[in-house]
Amino acid sequence: MSISLPTYTRREIPLLGRRHRLRAIIVTGLRREFKRPAAIVTTGLGVGLVLVTSIVIVLFRGLFIPGQPLDLSFFIVPASNQAILFFVTLMASVVGSGLIAEDLNSAALTLYLSRPITHADYLIAKAAILSPLIAMIAVLPLVLTPFVAALLGLFSWTVALEAMGLAVLLGFLFTAFYTSVTLLLSSLTRRKSYAAAGVFAVTFGLSIPATILSLSIGNPAFLYLSPWEDYLAVAQAAFGASARQLDWPWALAILLAATIVASFVTYLRMKAVEVVSG
Amino acid sequence: MSTVAEATGVSKWYGEVLGLNAFTASFGTGITGLVGPNGAGKSTLFKLLIGQLRANQGTLRLLGENPWNNVPMMRRLGYCPEHNQLYGWLSGQQFVEALLRLDGMPTAKASTAATAALKVVGLSGAAHRPTRTYSRGMRQRAKLAQALAHDPDVLILDEPLSGADPMARVQILRTISDYAKDGGHVIMSTHVLYEIERITQNIVLIHNGKAIASGDIHAIRALIDEHPHAVRLETSHPRQLAQALARMEHVVSLEVPADDVLLIRTRKPDAFYKELPGIVADTKLDVRSLESPDDSLEAVFRYLVG
Repeated sequence: MSISLPTYTRREIPLLGRRHRLRAIIVTGLRREFKRPAAIVTTGLGVGLVLVTSIVIVLFRGLFIPGQPLDLSFFIVPASNQAILFFVTLMASVVGSGLIAEDLNSAALTLYLSRPITHADYLIAKAAILSPLIAMIAVLPLVLTPFVAALLGLFSWTVALEAMGLAVLLGFLFTAFYTSVTLLLSSLTRRKSYAAAGVFAVTFGLSIPATILSLSIGNPAFLYLSPWEDYLAVAQAAFGASARQLDWPWALAILLAATIVASFVTYLRMKAVEVVSG
Repeated sequence: MSTVAEATGVSKWYGEVLGLNAFTASFGTGITGLVGPNGAGKSTLFKLLIGQLRANQGTLRLLGENPWNNVPMMRRLGYCPEHNQLYGWLSGQQFVEALLRLDGMPTAKASTAATAALKVVGLSGAAHRPTRTYSRGMRQRAKLAQALAHDPDVLILDEPLSGADPMARVQILRTISDYAKDGGHVIMSTHVLYEIERITQNIVLIHNGKAIASGDIHAIRALIDEHPHAVRLETSHPRQLAQALARMEHVVSLEVPADDVLLIRTRKPDAFYKELPGIVADTKLDVRSLESPDDSLEAVFRYLVG
């Protein structure tokens, strides 16, 4: 019996730069997420529900929020839609929690790092997979709502455009916070479920006790513990709505500091990870 | 260049567990086999060589450079890990392509190179199937394809034959051999000496994290021949296959420890590995995987280290 096998010959192939390599990780990651029903459902429901509730509020503003002035401050109402918090948390736990944890668990990280990829490249690419998905919930509906409102003639285009710009800034702040915290949690464990539980703990485990403590003790400073309350404080200030209990500069500083610290710790953690398997 | 990799007094420990213990050896050009039983420190050494572990002591050089966190050097390496690390939802083609693009290969060229590499390892027919549907041998070949598709200077292969069926073994060894003939260097680990003997005479023996011997394969062969060599085959027809293999004079014993497993002990492993593919092809019996428990090698190492 004779067996005929193809033979191996070496080739010289020109290679592209870092941006191209990063895009390869991002494309592979996004391709995977858009094949997963959980990610598709979360994205669809999240974007749909936040958008629909926001537009319903705009259309029936007289019914839902009588007395709310029809100026820029009106858009604090869609920006404080609790569905944003819920679906961003859900998206971070469904998609983000596994981004690093699963690579650590399957040792796919070994294959990534056996290529000319730095730890920073790897993390940037993972952030670039998660952040657009979170932004679809945290940014897109808030931009579309003033757009639709202006199209329907309910607000002037000047107000709508200003609201859209602020929505982009606020949405990106919230997206950056959840992206960096989720990746940190994902890098700390090989189990996606632990990281997902951590994401819920950051949202509800901080927000609910913070609210209870601030009410029972009567000290609103506890609300700084809640990322959602910090976000709302910044949003109120941005849209010029009536001030809440928190000072927006402190709330903004807390969100930014948490984002930067989480990113930095994730980077250090990944640098320290020695890929042990087998 | 006479030395591809060099380790001098390299130690690596995980907490209180010693992975490598003052390991000193040099790996020359061409193909070098790193032979040792499971848990000897082969994978640890490879992770050090590809810069994913940092040595606690000693110095390590690959292609003249320190590999720890040496990102530019990764372009010159092809690494095939032992354990299954594929994203199962990717097809073989997508898997190799994605990793080639991480090297910075343009998309169209990555596609062409992936197709070519999968052809070389004999996976063209399954290139568009999700890798989760692959057998263990096919996964090994897909991992080998991604390791050599970007034409690295050095291939580091961690047990590339582990679990591969007889035909896949022939294909994998042929591919490695062709790569080396074309000027590439290979450091390949195995605990089956007879397989690596087909493609190289240069070996480094590792046991308990130490290099205990290196150089020519023949001396160690003589020692190992004194111990019957065990081979474990997974097949749906173990008894029929046993009947066919019983005709081999060098086969000492045949056991069927499970419904789909055949355990063979032979005194002439090289002859056994040479004849097996032909017998499997003639009898048309399926052999899903082939492994060699390292008990015979373990016995030799016990002898060597006293």
